[in-house]
Amino acid sequence: MTTLDAAAASSATPSATTPVAPAPARRRRRSVEGRPRIAVAFTALFFVVLYLPIVVVVLFSFNSRKSLSSFESFSTRWYVQFFNDDALLSSLRASLVISGVAMVGSLILGTMLALALERVSSRPSRILGTTALVPLVTPEIVTGVAALLLFTGLGIKLSLMTVIIAEITFSISYVAVIVRGRLSAMSDDVEEAARDLGCTPFQAVRLVILPAILPALVASGLLVFALVFDDFVLAFFTTGVDPQPLPVRIYSQIRLSISPAINAVGTCMMLVSILLIAFSLVVPRLFGRRDSGLDLISGG
Amino acid sequence: MTHPASGTPVPDDVAIRLVGLTKRFGGTTVVDHLDLDIRKGEFFSLLGPSGCGKTTTLRMIAGFSDATEGSVVLGGTDVTSVPPHKRNVNTVFQSYALFEHLDVAGNVGFGLRRKGLDKAEIARRVTEMLELVELGARSKSKPRELSGGQKQRVALARALVNRPEVLLLDEPLAALDLKLRRQMQVELKNIQREVGITFVFVTHDQDEALTMSDRVAIMNSGVIEQCGTPEDVYERPRTAFAAGFIGTSNLMTGTYSGGELTLAPGITVPLPGHPDLVDGSTTSIAVRPEKIWMYEFEPAMVRIAGTVVATVYHGATTQYLVDVAPDVRVTVLEQNLVRSRNEDRWADGDSIELGWQPDHAVVIH
Amino acid sequence: MAASTRDTDVEPTRTRRSASHTRLWGWLLLPPAAWMMAFFVSSIIIVVLLSFGHVGPTGRPVFGASGANYAALWNETYLSVFLRSVVYASLTVLLCLLIGYPVAYTIALHGGRYKNALVAALVIPFFASYLIRMYAWSTLLSDEGLVNQALRWFGLSEGVRFLNTPGAVVAGLTYGFVIFMVLPVYASLERMDLALIEAGKDLYHGPLRTFFAVTLPATRAGVLGGVLLVLLPALGDFVSAQLLGGPSTFMIGNLIQQQFFESQNQPLGSALTVVLMIALLVFMVFYLRSTDRQRRES
Repeated sequence: MTTLDAAAASSATPSATTPVAPAPARRRRRSVEGRPRIAVAFTALFFVVLYLPIVVVVLFSFNSRKSLSSFESFSTRWYVQFFNDDALLSSLRASLVISGVAMVGSLILGTMLALALERVSSRPSRILGTTALVPLVTPEIVTGVAALLLFTGLGIKLSLMTVIIAEITFSISYVAVIVRGRLSAMSDDVEEAARDLGCTPFQAVRLVILPAILPALVASGLLVFALVFDDFVLAFFTTGVDPQPLPVRIYSQIRLSISPAINAVGTCMMLVSILLIAFSLVVPRLFGRRDSGLDLISGG
Repeated sequence: MTHPASGTPVPDDVAIRLVGLTKRFGGTTVVDHLDLDIRKGEFFSLLGPSGCGKTTTLRMIAGFSDATEGSVVLGGTDVTSVPPHKRNVNTVFQSYALFEHLDVAGNVGFGLRRKGLDKAEIARRVTEMLELVELGARSKSKPRELSGGQKQRVALARALVNRPEVLLLDEPLAALDLKLRRQMQVELKNIQREVGITFVFVTHDQDEALTMSDRVAIMNSGVIEQCGTPEDVYERPRTAFAAGFIGTSNLMTGTYSGGELTLAPGITVPLPGHPDLVDGSTTSIAVRPEKIWMYEFEPAMVRIAGTVVATVYHGATTQYLVDVAPDVRVTVLEQNLVRSRNEDRWADGDSIELGWQPDHAVVIH
Repeated sequence: MAASTRDTDVEPTRTRRSASHTRLWGWLLLPPAAWMMAFFVSSIIIVVLLSFGHVGPTGRPVFGASGANYAALWNETYLSVFLRSVVYASLTVLLCLLIGYPVAYTIALHGGRYKNALVAALVIPFFASYLIRMYAWSTLLSDEGLVNQALRWFGLSEGVRFLNTPGAVVAGLTYGFVIFMVLPVYASLERMDLALIEAGKDLYHGPLRTFFAVTLPATRAGVLGGVLLVLLPALGDFVSAQLLGGPSTFMIGNLIQQQFFESQNQPLGSALTVVLMIALLVFMVFYLRSTDRQRRES
């Protein structure tokens, strides 16, 4: 944290009342330094607490004993157990399928939505489009209950398909918001320039707009995959009996008995999502942009 | 102003003909029955304040905006309902609108690839065009690595490489700083001479329009106020707007009678050489500040009396504000050729005489 | 200069494009709009309709037009759960603000060139499964868990009962949703003109007074956004109360879950969901009005 201290000190500029002379400036700097130190310590503590449960899960996934509170020695027995558990493996496969299909589906629909919202000006279609963003501010339990009732009401048997539909519905808004952010940062002229240089409207989308928003597409695709892969609430309400998505399977196991095998599964799950998110954060840089994926995510 | 009658055949030397071109948004008329001929190989400027309809006119020529009424004739063919990608015009956008995912060569070759030219030909023409805009060394750079001036050149090259009938430029220099802008003005003019393509240049900057154009159309409120060579529109403004928008002009309005303009009871300005003016009609004249003399008058000059109310020293010039009648204040610009001779300075309140050549007073219609 | 400028500066963007162009984008809107209508809007309507229904003789939910479900909710058991949910969610918002604001402030103003890395470090664990992280807390906070072991080791306590307490549930919610406070506050701090703080130091003397007179008002939009973003999921959550609490700390989300998976009373569960939605709508309207007011003031 010493580097952060240095950065904090250097950013503490003397106030305008101080005469610009070396000696008083140094005195003032020290007095300002005190405050960031508390703040920095607080922030450091915050990050420790933030990562504590993750570290504990990873650590105990390698514990040779069944205990979750005392670490004996390094072992991979829980991973071996996980990869020999057919039920868990089929859940893992189910979750990967759900995430993959939901990612593709919501990318297609979400990008269409973003393009339309950015360009269409008629009032009814704007209202229609804004409705599509409501899931973002709807708690998952509401969306989950609603989806469950819709499927049972229509007599649709709950299955992987119903989970996928619910997850797509929920993810379209994410994709739309991220892609739209990228689109609105792009000048309208770019599309007209493409038309000017001989593109039909569809060619302009394919050759100019889609390449321009590709980083946003990749980032939101990764984001959606991670969100869906981890999602418990929606899956819990919309899944059938077999195979259950991984989070639902874990939930029922946690409620039955706490087993260190959960730590191994949890470590794998977190590894998948953390890699995906970390990757989505650096995606714009891979495309040679100076901004980071953070703008994409925190902007929404 | 050109008023080509619709239906008559378009002469060979006309690149663009606008016939009654009109654009309305809701109830607002942005472009109002525009008639205009732009000749082949001409550097033509549409000059006007923001909101005058010049950009909308350009967009209708490019095909980005549908005309409400009237037509656009391009090289003898009516293209009013032809989509932009099928019109043989190209545009340089104010924002450059470069394709960020392509490098410089990719941007410049974009239009040629759309036309389906073979690779060798595209490469040859792209290289040639990049040489012309002096960017030969940057062909592999991405747009974000370029400076504003370089982006501008890429945008220009990307449009010119297609050898369009007409190149449309929408305030292409507005985003550049003053020094770069001056430099690009000269280069743009040179490039236009070299390639010989018709340029239609939209700007709100009168300097830019005057220094670069073969002809200028001054637009205001959706209509063309005056169209002519830079000298025409500067020296002989036809309307009060044209006189005021290009440079500064002293507008004096009064009643014409027998070779004199009566500004106020007892105050007259000689206005010889206008037999066409009717006695008793209200007439305005415009005189440029630098055309008004304050001493060493020549015999042919008309003269009026006035009172100095303010003196502003500008270095190379000095600006005097002189009241010639109640509510008629005239600006006079004097070159400071004899500045060191203090006796030539007038103080506020001094009664002086102003004079100008009769043909420097332009009658405004 | 007689340059008359009209306010139609450029073509209004709404009408800029040619009609055929807009139609093209209109077609693009159709599939996602149809999807949202079919699977989202309609499903919400079903929830509202079913909340007026009842369970039929075969155990299947039947639509109806009776307020019986809502009347059934009007008793001490349910009301105390509603009240508890609101209290827990409000405490969560408060804690998120008290913890999240200083963190956002430190990163934004003193993060230096590590700013982006720190925000990334903040975002990444948020995407690690919420369920797993809640599960981790339940093992950490258990009677024999690491936290109690640490307390004993330091001789601070003979063991504290964390699980099944309101504190654990609120802590879990705070842990889960604090990022929703940090990000908007961080964004508004980033947008803020830092010269304001310097100027404030001259005017108000003392960092604390400057903070309350200058910094906090300038980041009001971020704080309001954060409050809403934390409140929405916190009020509807049931995982934290399930894993860290017990029946005595159940929230409205747990009741809904029970109605659907244990009691099999979907109409009553729907009524509970509608109550939750109404509560959230109230907060949402309050939020929109306060941001509206702020926009008008500035």
